[in-house]
Amino acid sequence: MAFNFNWSPLTADSLFYSRARELLTTALNKSPKPAIIVDDILVNELNLGSVPPDLEILEIGDIAEDRFRGIFKMCYTGDAFLTLKTRVQANPLNTYLSTKPSFASPQPLAAASGLTIPLQITLSEIKLSAIIILVFSRQKGLTLVFRNDPLESLKVSSTFDSIPFVRDYLQKEIEGQLRVLLMDEVPAIIHRLSLRLWVPEFRPRIDEDISRNGSLQSEKPVDPLASPPQDPVDSSGNPLGPTDISNLSLESGTETRPLFSQKNLLRLATLTDSHRTLSLFTPSIRDAVFRAWAGPTEHAETLGLHAAVATVPSLARINSSTGSTATAPASLDGSGIGSPLSRQSSTSHFTGTTGLSMGASRHSRAHGHRKKKHRVVNLRRSKNDSETGSTDSASVASTTSTATGSNGPPTPSASTDREGELVTPPGSPTNVVKLPMLSESNSLAESSTIRLRTSRAEQKAKAALTGVYADDSFVQEKPHEPAPAYTPPERPKLEPLHLHSYPKEKPRFAPSSPSALHHSMTLQETESSAAGILEQAFMVKMATEMARKARDEKSAPADAWHNGQRDDSPPPAYGS
Amino acid sequence: MLGFMDYVQYMFFKASRWNQDNNYGSLNATAQALLDFETPRGLRLNVSSLSSPNFATSYNLGSVGLVDGSLSYLYSSLPLKDSARSRNIDLHDVIQGYRHLQELQKPEEAWLWEIWHRGRRIDRRDTLLYGRLYLPDSTLEALYLRRLSPTRQLKLSCVSDSRLKNGGTILGLLQHDVGKYNMEYLYSSDSALLGIRGLYNFGPDPRKEPTIFPPEMPDTLKPSEQHTSSETVSSSSSSSPSPSSHGPYGRFSAGAELYYGILNKSGGISTGIRFTTLPRHTGFPYTMTLTLNPLMGNLSSTYAVKAGPSLALCSRFGFNFYSYESDLQLGCELWRLRQPRQPTSNLDWVYAKLGKEHEAEMVSEALRPGTKQARHNDNGNDNDDVAGVLKARVDQNCNVGVLWEGRIKDLLFSAGVSLDLRARNGPFRAIGVELQYSS
Repeated sequence: MAFNFNWSPLTADSLFYSRARELLTTALNKSPKPAIIVDDILVNELNLGSVPPDLEILEIGDIAEDRFRGIFKMCYTGDAFLTLKTRVQANPLNTYLSTKPSFASPQPLAAASGLTIPLQITLSEIKLSAIIILVFSRQKGLTLVFRNDPLESLKVSSTFDSIPFVRDYLQKEIEGQLRVLLMDEVPAIIHRLSLRLWVPEFRPRIDEDISRNGSLQSEKPVDPLASPPQDPVDSSGNPLGPTDISNLSLESGTETRPLFSQKNLLRLATLTDSHRTLSLFTPSIRDAVFRAWAGPTEHAETLGLHAAVATVPSLARINSSTGSTATAPASLDGSGIGSPLSRQSSTSHFTGTTGLSMGASRHSRAHGHRKKKHRVVNLRRSKNDSETGSTDSASVASTTSTATGSNGPPTPSASTDREGELVTPPGSPTNVVKLPMLSESNSLAESSTIRLRTSRAEQKAKAALTGVYADDSFVQEKPHEPAPAYTPPERPKLEPLHLHSYPKEKPRFAPSSPSALHHSMTLQETESSAAGILEQAFMVKMATEMARKARDEKSAPADAWHNGQRDDSPPPAYGS
Repeated sequence: MLGFMDYVQYMFFKASRWNQDNNYGSLNATAQALLDFETPRGLRLNVSSLSSPNFATSYNLGSVGLVDGSLSYLYSSLPLKDSARSRNIDLHDVIQGYRHLQELQKPEEAWLWEIWHRGRRIDRRDTLLYGRLYLPDSTLEALYLRRLSPTRQLKLSCVSDSRLKNGGTILGLLQHDVGKYNMEYLYSSDSALLGIRGLYNFGPDPRKEPTIFPPEMPDTLKPSEQHTSSETVSSSSSSSPSPSSHGPYGRFSAGAELYYGILNKSGGISTGIRFTTLPRHTGFPYTMTLTLNPLMGNLSSTYAVKAGPSLALCSRFGFNFYSYESDLQLGCELWRLRQPRQPTSNLDWVYAKLGKEHEAEMVSEALRPGTKQARHNDNGNDNDDVAGVLKARVDQNCNVGVLWEGRIKDLLFSAGVSLDLRARNGPFRAIGVELQYSS
């Protein structure tokens, strides 16, 4: 397990400092200021320095690729500095009287008249020592809380250094203000910045704020099918470079891969939503003709296969189809809609180790992006990807790979993964296409057993699986996720089923501790015995027994590890 | 407008013959009354009573968002004989406007205060006690005022509030006023602030006034006469055969103040000069002041003019020669009279026609002694001639304040609004109505 803390990339981003300055300025002016400061505090200069803080991991409560909870001990003695500009009241009598009741005030005639002086304060040699609680999730951004008062010492140098009284006063006041800032404001600032970085939903809003503050740029109408796309974004919403665009543009290559901009995806999402709701608002999309959608059943029947995916932004869901005979809600080109949508969904759910194989034809590319960005990449995924890619190319069924992937080995419970799974129809089409795939993937030791098991468990097990995922805290925040329009015919079955079978399967699929690694492995071995047990408590008991057994026969897990490494596939429960 | 308790204190000063205007702190009193008046916020009700000549109570209820109020009690050892009924109060006393300074008066001799009874002194010093409790803040204000001697007064003000440092603060102020000059020494318990203020009046010394008088005037007035009515003194002094040749038309004063906080080792200093016309001046009255804070580089000049019997204008210009900041404020007050003033004497119209108002005054003074004072104060004997006072001010940042004060039947009211015309989110800063009833 390795963590990679990058300090310098923060400083490399030129926009970072301006944004941070803005946020700091608003934060500093929010709290009531002492009487001596008579103007707004302006952050003039901000530099995080080159010396990163020392971080010591005290505890890690929860870790996955898209969420993290841990406690750190942080010590910082770096060369960061901050320059503030404001105006202060230089008359001590004025500030002294302003805080006193007028009844007992000496009421001087002119001795208390004010003199405001521009002041520049430089905060440097900041020494911090704190215990930090860090909670990260992709949906909610990064939350950082100081458990104690982080500020140890700091040097305040100002224009008034020659006057000891003013210097001491400033030092005292600024330390107090900074304590408040660090304890209350910095978590909020970091949260907003992280939302901007990771949650694309917030990005337009913040961008809007910034553009409103700064130079207003007139928004040009966006051509959804423009090639190359006008404002392309990749999976995580980061803007793409020109080389990437040339790779992804419409005209390049034989396969048509129109890359939709985030904006257009949102428009399509609202468009499809408007079919499902009573909303009268339909976004205007150029070069597109809208047709009413007759009904969900008809729609589902016409589709041989359909991948119902949820677009991450604004929690709106898009029903799209990949089949050539698909009739999309908007009568755009079927593949044109389908692939970007599925791409969007798959890439937004990229964090799962198994990965979603929807839109599998571009899956390898999407993960290629990931690999470039993150140092630590689960090796399992690449294997899976190539595998699913091959199967997909054979069977042309993108949904099947989704199903196999999700039903595969008990992998770290990436929440977004499960969201994707939730909306995949557990209907018959998936099962039908599964069987040939299973035969293909038999070569894989562990995954094959699981797949066999799932084929045995059939519909019930799959529904239970979704039940397990619905139990997940991340998914529960979106309880409306399994909307009827996604899985039109099968959906009524889904809910009662998962209610019954949820306890049965839960311990098998929700390994939540590091020891669960062994659990899951042993569970795979003794899968047949575990399948018959109905009571959850007994299941847990069994699991502990199995774990003990597994500990006794250490050779077996060691072999499994060994084999896994040799096969270039990580242990099944890695990273949970 | 003065609150009821402030008015009672004003009555106390008047009864104990203490000149409130002769100190450095009130050098700018005219400009402050015309430019720095406070506009009420929200609705505020005052019910007060001077139940006996020595005892006054006042209840105050206000609502600015939430309801708050205060109770206050006042005791004065000196009987306050003037009526404090809101129906009878002279609006010129409660509404602070252009401060037309009068001639300085000779302080009473100390022996005049002595009252002997069977070989023992039985006289007491005049004392005023005042307390006010604010609810629900639980802030307590207390005031102790004592006339130590005809030229000395001690004032102790205390505030008890849990939000203050040390739970409260005390200010002690010792004032020494001999007419020609005034000295004030103060100490504040908060950061042990020491202060000294002084004001010096150039011109004739009121203590040597008898020597200025022509020989036909009695050298020593009877004590009873001097003690009972000041008006007789001034009228007798002004009724000398040729007062214009003797008395000054205006008064030039200079003063300074100095503060030093012992605990926080910081201080403040300012100096100021003032020129104001006296009632003897034949043109329109005006006041000019110039204050300077040499430490902070603040220079402030004011000019106030009483352009007519019911109109006063004032301007103030401030400049800081360290930061080059400047500010300008303009203000005016307009007295609305209920009815045209009755001519005080039958011969007024003759002199008005001749344009010799001063001589008219002299004649009318001779005919009806005592009316001169009244005419110069612009308060006729009947108080009903003032319907209300409109005050307005504006500064260079387009902050506007408007205040309308007056009397409706038995209620004194003051309604005001404070506007910021440049603010984007609505110009209103404060708006309010204050009602006072006293019996």
